[in-house]
Amino acid sequence: MISRLLNLISVVFGVLVLTFLLIHLVPGDPVEVMLGDSASVTDREALREQLGLNKPLLVQFGTYLNNLAHGDLGQSIHTKTPVIDLFKTRYPASIKLAFLSLIIGIVIGVPLGVYAALKAGHWQDLVVTIISVRLSAMPVFWLGPMLMLVFAVWLGWLPVSGMDEPTSIILPALTLGFGLSAILTRMTRTSLLEVLNDDFIRTARAKGLSETRVIVRHALRAALLPIVTIVGLQMGSLLAGTVITETIFSWDGIGRLLVESIEKRDYPVTQACVLAVALSYVVINLFTDVVYRLVDPRVRHAQAR
Amino acid sequence: MYRHFLLLLVALPCVMLTVGCQPTSVEKEAVRFAIAQAPLNLDPRYATDAASERVNRLIYQRLVEFDDHSKPVPGIASWKNLGDQNYQFTLKQNLAPFHDGQLLSADDVKATYESLQQLPDSPHAAEFANIRAIQIINHYTLEFKLKQVDPHFASKLIIGILPKSLIAQQHDFVHQPVGNGVFKFDSWNNTLTLERIDDGQQVTFIEVKDPTVRVLKLMRGEADLLQGDLPPELIQYMQTKPRIKVATTQGANYSYLGLNMQDPILAKHKVRQALAYAIDRQALIDAVMVDHTRLADAILPPEHYAGNPLLKAYTYQPALAKQLLEEAGVALPLKLVYKTSTDAQRVRLATILQAQMKAAGIALEIRSLDWGTFFAEVKKGKFQLYGLTWVGIKTPEIYSKVFGTTYIPPNGFNRGRYSDLALDEMLRQEDWQAVTARIHEQLPYIPLWYEGQAAAMRQHIVGYRPKADGNWDDLKTIKRAKGQLQ
Repeated sequence: MISRLLNLISVVFGVLVLTFLLIHLVPGDPVEVMLGDSASVTDREALREQLGLNKPLLVQFGTYLNNLAHGDLGQSIHTKTPVIDLFKTRYPASIKLAFLSLIIGIVIGVPLGVYAALKAGHWQDLVVTIISVRLSAMPVFWLGPMLMLVFAVWLGWLPVSGMDEPTSIILPALTLGFGLSAILTRMTRTSLLEVLNDDFIRTARAKGLSETRVIVRHALRAALLPIVTIVGLQMGSLLAGTVITETIFSWDGIGRLLVESIEKRDYPVTQACVLAVALSYVVINLFTDVVYRLVDPRVRHAQAR
Repeated sequence: MYRHFLLLLVALPCVMLTVGCQPTSVEKEAVRFAIAQAPLNLDPRYATDAASERVNRLIYQRLVEFDDHSKPVPGIASWKNLGDQNYQFTLKQNLAPFHDGQLLSADDVKATYESLQQLPDSPHAAEFANIRAIQIINHYTLEFKLKQVDPHFASKLIIGILPKSLIAQQHDFVHQPVGNGVFKFDSWNNTLTLERIDDGQQVTFIEVKDPTVRVLKLMRGEADLLQGDLPPELIQYMQTKPRIKVATTQGANYSYLGLNMQDPILAKHKVRQALAYAIDRQALIDAVMVDHTRLADAILPPEHYAGNPLLKAYTYQPALAKQLLEEAGVALPLKLVYKTSTDAQRVRLATILQAQMKAAGIALEIRSLDWGTFFAEVKKGKFQLYGLTWVGIKTPEIYSKVFGTTYIPPNGFNRGRYSDLALDEMLRQEDWQAVTARIHEQLPYIPLWYEGQAAAMRQHIVGYRPKADGNWDDLKTIKRAKGQLQ
């Protein structure tokens, strides 16, 4: 566990260094964005000094790390809002959207995958395959507006976009969840088909267990490992913010904040967003490892040895 | 154990969603205005983005406004020249008080402009560096004393006036503005809401970046009004919908192609002429621009007091363009790089330009960059061609700032590094007819068009028309018609 934590710290530190270097290397800086073209060279230099941007990069990075260690993420250069305040509203929004999308993906994808595996080679399998391929081929910038048109404009059941109503989350979550469900359907089908031909399944059937029990308690459990891996990876991506979906649905999440801050060269906000994304990935990976141990005794035993 | 864990995995997010999604209900009466970009900063001393400027016009009042010909006219004050470097402003009587109840006086004007000069991170501070002193004469009158002669000084006094007492307290005008405009600030969470003081009518600004989604919100009734940033096919679509009405008008925002005059190829006059003849602007307007978009020949439109209606437009003549390139001695096809942003409409325009120029022997390579990188490269002069639009330009000083030799970066907007001593002299004399004719002939910019302005609204919305510079001033008079289907 200690090695995992050290690994976590090194990954986060690496991300901090890379982000800091990259954002300072791309063309444009906040002073140019803030003051425009009409400011004099003296004014620009004065502001650069005030923001600490005239200091060597190493010194700037040291200051940033020191502030970070004291829990100070800084404030937005343009709106003067403390970054922590932006996070308080933006990150929970991304977490909510990510969780609901994941649930939709799992609820649709896993049963469909199981069904396709049980009907492998039959027309039902073909239908599920066609649906999942179609879903995974639909880009969110097309699927999102289509769902809006059907469920919001034609049927009038849901709001088009925004965050004003509790039901506002449904369409963006469906947009993301459908894509995820397609991946999970394919993965569940493949994984389950491999397990269904194993000896222990034949043994379970020979013992006279019901087919449902064989599938749910024995086959599916053994097939869960690759599914958990995919779910973990997808959850990491979802928590990192889904820029296009958030933009289309006016969902004020972390992804949108990150892109906007990059456009405006708002260094403190960009650095904080990337840090949050990196932490999300690391924590989800850690969580996925824990789930491995829960669902697969082989992992537990291997680690115990 | 596993079952409990899975149950927790499913239940936890559901609980979070139920608890976390607190509805922030929009007032039923509010006019909901869906906009592409939310305002960034409601302190007029800092605001530079179009949305903030437009909202600030509603919250604050300014000393000076502009008439239909863009001539400066009294806003909340009239003025007179007391010499080349001395302007006296007198506030109108019975001005509306600030939204916190204080009366507006000359002290507030002085405090606003003095505080502006002391803000090192204000993009407007440099504009007022020429002020030597501001002297209060009485409750209504004050004098601006300048360091150097500036005949356009009055037209620069367009910063919204803030209350002196709140400036002294370093009030957070960025997020909680207090002015004496027609609207007062109500709230700003996910959406910004203002309230009209006369009748309590609220207007909520909802940021919706995607134009298709803005239109869907209007159709669904989640928005009452849209303006700007709408591709023509969506406007045509809305015109077929019975519950939606569309209004368009001529625009004054100037779109152009910028040229790098330090590039050895583009420094040749005949090459620049060839570029002007290689673009079928009318076909572009007809194909992808909003109704009422018109050809442009100068930054300021013909109706502007410094406009020039006598300029002869460059027409599409690919054969002539090719001939000019051959005369300039460049090898064909001439390879040029065109930089633009990632905005879908901009990329679409670039693609059409590329096809049109091919017929004239120009191979245009399109480089679409994120806004921050694109604009930084334009300012650094790292381009051959780029496309941009000047928004809300009122004073002819723009010609000096854009084409004057002394305004080559880092001293100004002359991003193409154009240097023309003859033009510099015309600029010094402020002979705007000669200036515009010279620029039109020399082509440091290739003029494109003044984009038409369009607004779409639900049938029950009355009293709103789009304006040439895209401002939202009609929100001061907008109403919901009674007794109509909403």
